[in-house]
Amino acid sequence: MSDESIPGLSAEDGLTWRRVFNHLAILVAFLTVWEMLTVTGIADELLYPRPTLIIYSFYSLFIDQGIVWRHLWITMATVLSGFVVGTILGISLAVVAGLSETARRYMKPYIIVLEATPRIAIGPLMLAWLGFGFEAKLAIVTLVCFFAPFINTLTGFLSADEDQIELMRSLGASKWQILTKAMVPDAMPLIMAGIRLAMASALGGALVAEFISSNEGMGVLLNNLAAVLQMSAAFAALLTLTVLGFFLYRIMESLESWIIFWHHDDSMRRVARKRQTYWSKL
Amino acid sequence: MYHETRAADGADPGGAVILGHGVSKLFGGTVVALEGATFTVKPRQFISLVGPSGCGKSTLLRMIAGLIEPSSGSLHVHGDPVGKPRRDVGMMFQRPTLMAWRTVLENVLLPTELVRKVTAADRDHALELIELVGLKDFAYAFPSQLSGGMQQRASLARLLQTGADVLLLDEPFGALDEFTRERLNLELLRIVAQFGRTTLFVTHNIQEAIFLADEVFVMTPRPGRIAGIVEVPFERPRDISLMQTVPFNEMVAEVRGIFDRDNK
Repeated sequence: MSDESIPGLSAEDGLTWRRVFNHLAILVAFLTVWEMLTVTGIADELLYPRPTLIIYSFYSLFIDQGIVWRHLWITMATVLSGFVVGTILGISLAVVAGLSETARRYMKPYIIVLEATPRIAIGPLMLAWLGFGFEAKLAIVTLVCFFAPFINTLTGFLSADEDQIELMRSLGASKWQILTKAMVPDAMPLIMAGIRLAMASALGGALVAEFISSNEGMGVLLNNLAAVLQMSAAFAALLTLTVLGFFLYRIMESLESWIIFWHHDDSMRRVARKRQTYWSKL
Repeated sequence: MYHETRAADGADPGGAVILGHGVSKLFGGTVVALEGATFTVKPRQFISLVGPSGCGKSTLLRMIAGLIEPSSGSLHVHGDPVGKPRRDVGMMFQRPTLMAWRTVLENVLLPTELVRKVTAADRDHALELIELVGLKDFAYAFPSQLSGGMQQRASLARLLQTGADVLLLDEPFGALDEFTRERLNLELLRIVAQFGRTTLFVTHNIQEAIFLADEVFVMTPRPGRIAGIVEVPFERPRDISLMQTVPFNEMVAEVRGIFDRDNK
């Protein structure tokens, strides 16, 4: 099959290759100018390390000294555990609030207060309560991750499709069936958007927590490196976080297209095939 | 309370599928959505409820479906006072209300799934209904892959899957374009004739109401009520050309006359 495409690239392939080439050219030009500026001394190398030096720092951080691993692991653990706890807490409270008018009424003032308070400002208090350890960081990330899933889940429930619920009732569905078969899946796209927002703020929350309260983690490493002007290593640590953030984002993206497959054409086709097999075998 | 009024209205529920006597509905204690509706629906009758918005046609339908309760009067389905949704009454809405995360087949199987574990026989029955409504090749498609008309076809198949012998259709094709609606109306007639079910069809289109029905309940607003009941004598099966005939248009005029009389 691929033999047929060898004689010549299609117009679209050619365009893609040219674009990739252009991007690479711009990147290389940018790095070269940067390198030249520092080599010639126009830019202060102490503050703006050469790209080649940053690459060397990756080697030293990850392989030669290997100090990054422990910090990376700590930060990852904080992000993931805070994200999981905060999200579960947010969604469960929203389910309670969504189903009970009374619960909603009594929760509302606290939600407004919490919404108006910059969550990260609670950090120093957490520190005082829980000390310089994992607990304080976990609490801060949990707090940062709580809100978006909570609000989105609640909104999803409250904006549930009335006609859909009416239909379920006319079919004699129980309250539980209406909740699990109509309301929850119906709210799922909004819930997922909340979860993605939570993940996006989790890494930031964990780093700020580490800046203010910790003695280990990527935030601490970055802080320490910048404080002693080891700028090339600091850049390497920063880029490591960029890569981490990128992977977390991609994971959430695949999770979303897996869970709310009906919003993604590819996933929908895959699920359709699976369902067809299932029903044919019944 | 219903039992008292049931004894009092003195009608014989034996030959009627739906029996309404002085049925009224107030919302919020003050807004009269429907006032004193008295009517009989006989087995396998096709009834159209026609009228402008606010005439109480949807309210009446939802009371028969057991989704809301009458404020006063008596309303019986198969001899039982209405109260909650029942298996032998099925409803279809103006919006397809299909679940986006279910294939057409799974949407059609929903009524079954809510009461018991779905079997291979249920699946085969659902597939037959899907074929009947003209979606044979789309059983494993998701609703977002279907046009509005196809979504309503799926919705109709789901209604038939309930096995209900009373079908309540609340402007089922009202959101579709003229051509699609006309075609689906014809198919609805064919399907209902094949199954012999009692049907109540809500619409605001007089031609459509007459074309489909054995009897037209003409409803007027403020307060919502049944202003007149017109019997439609035309032979079945009916063809779209019926709408060009003089007797048909005389009947349209008669129904319109009821609205005009009410406006004065």
